[in-house]
This record gives sequence, C-alpha cells and structure tokens, in this order.
Amino acid sequence: MARWTHSAQHATEIDVNIQLAQTGLNPFDDPLDRILAEIALSVQLPPSLHDKAKSRYEAVRRHLEATTAFFDQIEHFYPQGSMAIDATISTRGTDEEYDLDIISQLGGRFRRMAPLEILTDLETALSDYPVQRVLRQTRCVTLFYADKMHLDVTPSLRVYSTLDRESLITHAKGPRRSDDDRLVDMNAYGFAQWYASRTPLELRMAKEFHRRWLDHAGLAARADADVDDVPDQCDFIVKNTATLALQLLKRFRNIRYASYAGRIPPSVMISYYAGLAAQPNMSLSAMLVRLASWIIRDIEQASLYGRLLHVANPVCATDVFTDRWPESIAQQDEFAEHLHELVRSLEAMRNGEMFPNAMMDTLRDDFGDRVVTRAADQIATEVGSGIQQSRQLYTRRGGVVLPTAAAVAASTVNPAVSAARPHTFFGRKI
Amino acid sequence: MRAAPLSIDQQIAAMKATWPQFAARRVDRRTQSARWVGSVRPQYSSYSLEIRYGLGSFPEVRVLSPVLIHLPGNAEGQLPHVYPPAEDPTLCLFDPREREWSSAMTIASTTVPWALDWLACYELWLMTGRWTGGGRHAGSEFAQATETAQ
Repeated sequence: MARWTHSAQHATEIDVNIQLAQTGLNPFDDPLDRILAEIALSVQLPPSLHDKAKSRYEAVRRHLEATTAFFDQIEHFYPQGSMAIDATISTRGTDEEYDLDIISQLGGRFRRMAPLEILTDLETALSDYPVQRVLRQTRCVTLFYADKMHLDVTPSLRVYSTLDRESLITHAKGPRRSDDDRLVDMNAYGFAQWYASRTPLELRMAKEFHRRWLDHAGLAARADADVDDVPDQCDFIVKNTATLALQLLKRFRNIRYASYAGRIPPSVMISYYAGLAAQPNMSLSAMLVRLASWIIRDIEQASLYGRLLHVANPVCATDVFTDRWPESIAQQDEFAEHLHELVRSLEAMRNGEMFPNAMMDTLRDDFGDRVVTRAADQIATEVGSGIQQSRQLYTRRGGVVLPTAAAVAASTVNPAVSAARPHTFFGRKI
Repeated sequence: MRAAPLSIDQQIAAMKATWPQFAARRVDRRTQSARWVGSVRPQYSSYSLEIRYGLGSFPEVRVLSPVLIHLPGNAEGQLPHVYPPAEDPTLCLFDPREREWSSAMTIASTTVPWALDWLACYELWLMTGRWTGGGRHAGSEFAQATETAQ
C-alpha cells in the first residue's frame, strides 16, 4: 500500500526548519484559495465515513479469509485508485456518495481459474456480507453500504518477476464465459507509489486542511487532538496542494459530465497529470490552472496530429489509463474546451477581474450549486464573525485577512495597522 | 480629557506612511480638508476608493469603481450600511452614537481599514445574500446623530 510516511524524528526536523522546508501554502490565507479549499472540503470523504472506510476494508478481508474459498489465498489486500492516493471525492452525480476501491491479490488455486470464475467465487464469498447489496461487475464485486459508500473489491493475480505488485485483473461481463473475457495488466500499487513520490507532504497545508476537515464535521475537539497525527497515522487524507487541485478537477469533471451517458475522462488519468504537474509551495488556484493547462496541452498536441490521447501508467506501460476514454478526437477536444473555460475563469478570478456575484455563478457551474453555496456561507460566517470581533488584519495592498499563524508572520501584513479597531457598520438600507 | 484633533497635515502624513497607494489630492490647509483616491483589493475584486475629509466632519468614503451592485429584495436592503443618496452612496463605517470615531484618530488607522472591512462584507453579501459583518441600520435616531456630529 502506497503511503507517504515520516518518522517522528523527521517530522520534528520539518517543524524546526519550517521556513526552509516545502511546507505548502495555507489555502485558507488567500480568499480565492479559501473558497476552492472550502469546496474541496465539501466533496471530501467526511471523518465519519473515513473512519468506516478503513475499518470496512479490513473487515472485508477478514470476512473473505474466513471463507473456505479464500482461506489462505489472499496475498495482499490494499486500496487502489483515489483511496490509495488520498484523493477520494463524492461520486459523480452525488454530493454524499463515495466509491472506494480495493485490490484483493489472490494466489494459490485462483491462478488456475478463468476470470469469470474468480469473479463469481468472490461474489459467492461476499453474498452473505451484511450490506444492502452485493453486485458482481465486469472487473470487481461492489458492496453497497446503507450510508451510500460503495466498496469495489477487484481480484488480481500477481505477475511475478515484474515490478512490485504488477498484476492481472479480471475482466468478464458474465453471466456466461465469453471470448471477451480476459485478464488486464495493471499496477495500481506502483502508480500510487509513483504519485506519492511526486506529491510529497506539505506539512503546513496538510495540517490546516486536516484541522478544517475535522472542524467542519463538528469535531473541533478532535481537530485539536488529531491534527498532529498528520502524516504518520492518518491515511486517506489530503497531504499536499496538488492532491487538493486533483480533487477539484475531478469534481469539475463530475459536474460538467453530470448528465453525460457515455464514458468520461478517467480519474486515474487526471491523477497522473496531477503527479506530473505537482510542484511544492504553489497556491491552490495556481496549481489547478497548472494541472488543467497540462492536460489541455497534451490533448491539443494529440488532436493536432489526429491521435487519441494516450496515457499509460508510468510504472507499467501496458496499464493504459486511456483505454476506454477518449473514444474520439471530438471527445477529447470537448474535455479540453471544458478545461479551457475553467482556466479562463480561474485566471479572471485570480486577477480580480470577476465580480463576486459573477464568480459565484461561475463556481456553481464548475463545482456544483450546493457545495459552492455551502463554501461561500462558511466563509461569510467566518469572515463576518472575525470582523465583528476585530480579529482581522490588513495587507499593505488593502487586503483583509483573518490571521492564521502563517498570515501573521507573512511580510504582506501591514505593520502600521497591527490591530483592527472595533467599529459598527451603520447607515441605511437603500 | 478629550484628545486634540489631528491637523490635515497629520492625517496626510499618516495616510502616506500607512497606505502609500492613496494619493492626497485637493489639500486645503485653510479649511483643513483633503481628498484621497486609491486602489484596494480586500478579497476578490479591486476597487477604487475616494475618501473626503474636512476637519469637523466625518470622513466620507465612496467607491468610485466599479459601480456598487444592488440586490433588490434583499433583507438587508438593496445596498446595506450606506448613506444616501442611492445614486451616490457613501459607506457607513461606524456608529456615530457609539463614538467610535473622533477627529483625534487617524483616517489611516480607522476609516481605511473599516472601508476594507465594508468591502469584504459587501462581497460576501453579494455571494451569499447575508451581511455577516454585524452593525445596525439607522432608524429615527440616524439624522439626529449625524446632525450632532456635524
């Protein structure tokens, strides 16, 4: 399982050298980054489900190992996809449903079985699992929980003498064997490791985001206690700005393709670009622009030569992330145009060229009505309350900031107005 | 004991030191008045602000550009916490009854930051329809307070 871990000693060294290290920018210090981060918080797996996700996938393994068919047959059981790179967001078309993916690496007798048989055995072993529904799909078995979490369990067979955990996964539509049944090469584990190496921890950013994440769920006390656990003990939590930008771009794709019936740009492809585009200490809006622009460039290059975009797993060339999307040049160009719109609007917001009400309309189109409304409400409450309590500071250029430790230390704060003087808005309604 | 009022030169010096982007114009030492114009970006958008002040009056703050947006039907009014007229509103940044401002205070440490606060709240009001910065709207005591101050 790919994880970015630090020893306690290493974490201490980071604290000591915080000014020199790549600690990331606190997205809550900048108004535009703040609303983007609030949007990301809203689509995040909430703490309650986060805790369940960890215990559930361990419980599924225990259940399988207690069955005759799977006893002593599971070599590894690990998260893949967004779960493995801490980038889980709500499922397309929803604000509160989450898909999580597990790879069950099987050995022994499963190595001699056909794809459909493996999937059917898995379905049978999970048939009495205490969830609302168990569904065999083409490549996995999905468990549907009552709280709208979906857990995909994908069986795999290790391809020995290749890079760690390169595997074949099952592909079989069923219910009967077909010529289309096959084993598909992949290395989700290797990709997660590659992604983690490209997107190292940004401690300041991760701590602040983690604190807000717990705080939003009404777990303020736990926020104070738990926030020092990042990164050692907290899996599945965003640890850097690139991953936050990745989540926002996935959300943007989900909204833009909400009523689209066909295949959509795959998450793993966007994750690959987030790994490529990652750069420490960038603002969230700048990172989102950089990520979208990187994808646009590659699509336009491919279309220019009349080719379909081809993106493969950087650690497994036969694991092609774009094997099912795009199906046509028009399809990839359509995505590039969506991304162009996102970049144009973000640039206008970054330059202060968009009125706040127009900005809200644009953000709603890009990320969904409910989460954007919730984000703005949260900010309005916090900023308004800060002003009422005279907690705000001012930048030399006339910006209003609600101080975090980083903002107070920053040289942008106007030292001549070191404390806000209390005042009461008055006047008339006109 | 009440502190002595600051002269217009003291106000200009404080503004120059604190907010150098605000240029003093129409300085009249005889009437102890001045006008400042400067650009700020409190949160999301940039604004050009004008501050007019004459010793013995309250500072007047206007947004020169962009034109302030009205929200018809909003619970806080089409544009909250301003002084009329509607076509040329000035921002109402403090409660005269609470004596939050006096001519012994610098505009640089009061009026400008308060205007930034107003603009931040205005933007969030445009985004959410809620004025979250607090304050109160004047009733009948409004005219009396204004007249007393002047």
